[in-house]
Amino acid sequence: MVRFENVGMRYGMGPEVLRDISFHLRPGSFHFLTGPTGAGKSSLLKLLALSHRPSRGLVTLFNKEVSTLARDDLPAMRRKIGVVYQDFRLLDHLSALDNVALPLKIAGARDEQIYQHVAELLDWVGLGNQVDAKPPTLSGGEKQRVAIARAVINRPQLLIADEPTGSMDAEMGLRLMYLFQELNKIGTTVVVATHDLDLIQRFGNPVMYLKDGLLSSRSAANIPAQFSESEG
Amino acid sequence: MIKLFGKSAELQLEKDVSTRYLPVVISAMIFLAALSIGGLFSLSNAINTWSETLTGNLTAEIAYDPAIDLDQEVTTAVKLLSETPGVTAARAIEKDETLKLLEPFLGKNAALSELPVPRLIEIIIAEDSAIDLAALNEKLVAAVPGARLDINRPWLDKMVTLGRSIQVLAAAIMLLIGGVTVIIVIFAVRTGLIMHSEVIQVLHLIGARDNYIAEQFQNYFSRLSFLGALPGLIVAIFVMFIFNFLVGSLEASMLPPLSLGIEGSIALLLLPFLVALLTKYTVRQVVLKSLGRMM
Ligand SMILES: Nc1ncnc2c1ncn2[C@@H]1O[C@H](COP(=O)(O)OP(=O)(O)OP(=O)(O)O)[C@@H](O)[C@H]1O
Ligand SMILES: [Mg+2]
Repeated sequence: MVRFENVGMRYGMGPEVLRDISFHLRPGSFHFLTGPTGAGKSSLLKLLALSHRPSRGLVTLFNKEVSTLARDDLPAMRRKIGVVYQDFRLLDHLSALDNVALPLKIAGARDEQIYQHVAELLDWVGLGNQVDAKPPTLSGGEKQRVAIARAVINRPQLLIADEPTGSMDAEMGLRLMYLFQELNKIGTTVVVATHDLDLIQRFGNPVMYLKDGLLSSRSAANIPAQFSESEG
Repeated sequence: MIKLFGKSAELQLEKDVSTRYLPVVISAMIFLAALSIGGLFSLSNAINTWSETLTGNLTAEIAYDPAIDLDQEVTTAVKLLSETPGVTAARAIEKDETLKLLEPFLGKNAALSELPVPRLIEIIIAEDSAIDLAALNEKLVAAVPGARLDINRPWLDKMVTLGRSIQVLAAAIMLLIGGVTVIIVIFAVRTGLIMHSEVIQVLHLIGARDNYIAEQFQNYFSRLSFLGALPGLIVAIFVMFIFNFLVGSLEASMLPPLSLGIEGSIALLLLPFLVALLTKYTVRQVVLKSLGRMM
């Protein structure tokens, strides 16, 4: 599903923010990605979301090496990936409903098929009353739920979430984590970046630990209790 | 109209303040273009009329002089003219005929036959002949005193040349207008691309193809161009009507009224569609080129 081999990444001419990253995610797996702030979690997810290219190394998604892809192949690949961005990236002038419907529209679905489905999903994430609200009028947690709904609406094969529950209370956060778990059960490969060590402990999924641009993988029981602990 | 061009649902380009000036500029451009087209086609019609006059006939005139035998003079002149290379035929116009030509001005009158009317000779010039009319005139005067060639041909010749030059100028102006329009559109689109770069990026990451994004831009901008073109065209047509009205009210004006003909009218009416197409194509190129630089 996903394979990184000696991947390095830098922004422009800046320093490498990711160094020698190698890992492999099997189809249907569920991983957490954690590490201190600035470690490069979002950067790694940008590589997964086909939003940036690695500056070195090989990234393979859906059995295709990314650097060999033609520009025309990218949209089809991206439609198989759902992404929840740390900064949501909703379109401010569209209603919550239209924001969530966007991936379906872009993929060419017809309107009547779209809206019923979208309204149900928004209802499920607790935004049934705010389908017509524009993102600037929503709270942080509400925006985040719209972003999550948009990421899962067309049942992606790979779901990437960057701090998906950071802006909401623990209860709602758990509810959405269960949504991810459900999607994982029907075959979606899930990667969730989070600072929330309690959440990681509670779910017990394998963890990728990123620090200073370097990756190590460990089990949930084996992560430091605090990021400041300089260990490993 | 909105339906015809589709709308830019996700980009909401309609809300851009930066592109609001575009219809105004397009309007001005179309106004100028319409006037150029008006000039171009009217001139081409006028030139055709002049050229027909040119290839048609020419007259020589022998002044009335009771002291000489006019018939003899006419015969000499006809002979000289007929023998000139480039002249297909020269024919004396009989006195009766001349009088008939004058009838509308003088009325029917028996005393008319006593009038000192000049004698006329009709000369038919071969097509594409390059007769030096001034030289022929001199020759004619030398052979037949009192004769005079009606040399409006060189004047018309110059008019045709002038007309053609103005046509070339009008065509150049059209090209210039087209070029400036393209440049204006390019700048407007670039601004739009920058203003919407974030939305474009999101659309891309959700899996939108370049074409999907380009269509929203091209539809929006060609709609702006089309809607901007209409008032420009209407004002230009109005101005041409006023011009014709003023020309018509001046008696014996030097200026011919504007007459577009069918081709000219069609060209005018096509103008908004042409500018919409030009905009669409330009926008598409700019957007695709810019998107090609993104991953
Ligand atoms: N667009 C950018 N241009 C230049 N440098 C960037 C950019 N985005 C991130 N960086 C740098 O890359 C490094 C890793 O950033 P990244 O956002 O991946 O960290 P993170 O692990 O997601 O942090 P956080 O937990 O705070 O979200 C940081 O040093 C940051 O300054
Ligand atoms: Mg981050």
